[in-house]
Amino acid sequence: MSADVVKFNKFYYAYPNSDLVLKNIELTIKPGSFTVLMGPSGAGKTTLCKAMAGIVPYYYGGRYAGTVEVLGQDTKGKRVSDIAMHLGLMLEDYESQLVSLTAGEEVAFALLNHGFPPEEVEARTRKALEDVGLPGRENYQLDELSGGQRQRLLLASVLAVQPKVLVLDEPVSAMDPEGAASLYKLVNSLYQKYQMTVVVVEHNLNYVLPYATDLVALKDGEVIAADSFEQAALRAYDENCLQCLLPEIWQVKLCLQKRDGVSLGIWRTTDDAIAELKAVYGRANDND
Amino acid sequence: MKDEENLVEQVALIEIEPAKDTHRWVAITALLLAIGIILHTISPNIGGVTPNWTIAMYSITISLTDPSFKQAAGIGFIAGLTLVPSSKSAFPLGNLVSDLTGALVAAMMVKSMVKIGLANFKFGPFFTGFLATMASGAVFTFILKLILSLPLSVYIYAMLPVVATVAVLNGFITQVLFAPAQKLFFMQGGRKK
Repeated sequence: MSADVVKFNKFYYAYPNSDLVLKNIELTIKPGSFTVLMGPSGAGKTTLCKAMAGIVPYYYGGRYAGTVEVLGQDTKGKRVSDIAMHLGLMLEDYESQLVSLTAGEEVAFALLNHGFPPEEVEARTRKALEDVGLPGRENYQLDELSGGQRQRLLLASVLAVQPKVLVLDEPVSAMDPEGAASLYKLVNSLYQKYQMTVVVVEHNLNYVLPYATDLVALKDGEVIAADSFEQAALRAYDENCLQCLLPEIWQVKLCLQKRDGVSLGIWRTTDDAIAELKAVYGRANDND
Repeated sequence: MKDEENLVEQVALIEIEPAKDTHRWVAITALLLAIGIILHTISPNIGGVTPNWTIAMYSITISLTDPSFKQAAGIGFIAGLTLVPSSKSAFPLGNLVSDLTGALVAAMMVKSMVKIGLANFKFGPFFTGFLATMASGAVFTFILKLILSLPLSVYIYAMLPVVATVAVLNGFITQVLFAPAQKLFFMQGGRKK
């Protein structure tokens, strides 16, 4: 079995009646990583997520070349529902993934479809709802939950099958900054607790900066950089259309590194940045 | 763009069909037949003619889902079954045969249109509804003629004209309701038939 949880081998894809949206994707997602996918609109981030889940190309159809492996197994010939037992996908339009009337039914849906015994369905449902901060809400109607709660409910539905990989496509695009920070905090706590691999598509990298271990930068359907967050950010900084998508403090950091030839640390928060800038540049000013 | 064309030429892309909806036709059939039964129960008689909502509904279903003949036979049989309890005719079980025939004719019509490249013909639903009703009505009235030992002239000059009138009415209903039904059932995920 491959050591990589997701592996793209020279993968190309075009939706029916469209041009190529993914080109020559050579990419591996390392086990236990918190990988962030970045890139301008239309770069192919969502399609890449769908390819991990087997939806692309086997559900949408179209034209493709190459392979995608999830946990060492080619997605070709696998049912999307079977891949979902190992790789949970939460789409940007999360409402379209909700299918049941109550929160409990929603979380239990995938489990029941895969023939889990009722006691296990009940236990997993309860635990998944507790994990996302919705304990005891099994009998709540979906319209009794707020947008943020429904999003967390979907996260619970995905977590209930205990996937090894969690793929989130712009999960906070419709949230206010507090809600977004809170959701990522939750995702990080689940990532730590279950030792899973997380892949996130995010436009605003400030939200994921404290947690990201790896970064994949896409542009026009091609992988521009895929490495540890620091190395990939360094590479992305050289691309005009990607530079502005990096977190502001990293734009400052990489700019200073280039300009002054200094080597700065891995800044996770603004406080990290201020502390190091004071240490490096404060000292320099003292010397002057 | 030139680079992309070169890239496509260099890479052997495999063409793959979108996955087929395996159960959507069942859901659509169930829902539209249920609507058909309700309308059939409450629909008033206008000038001696009542539209056959059940046939119109399965004509829409078949136009939307292009089922196999086996599936179409199933749709027709179930549709006929729903009409048996409420039928006031001399031979209610005739609905089983007539609606099975109607559904098969509708399926044949839809498949023929696809085959000759008229799958998106705007007025296809009208002809599907019309022909399905003609076939179903002709079979049903013929069964009645046999059971009641009616003369052929009554069948030809009295029964078939009424069937033809209902068929035209049903053609219109099928045509009018097809577009909203299509929008409703195929809007999710942006996938359309």
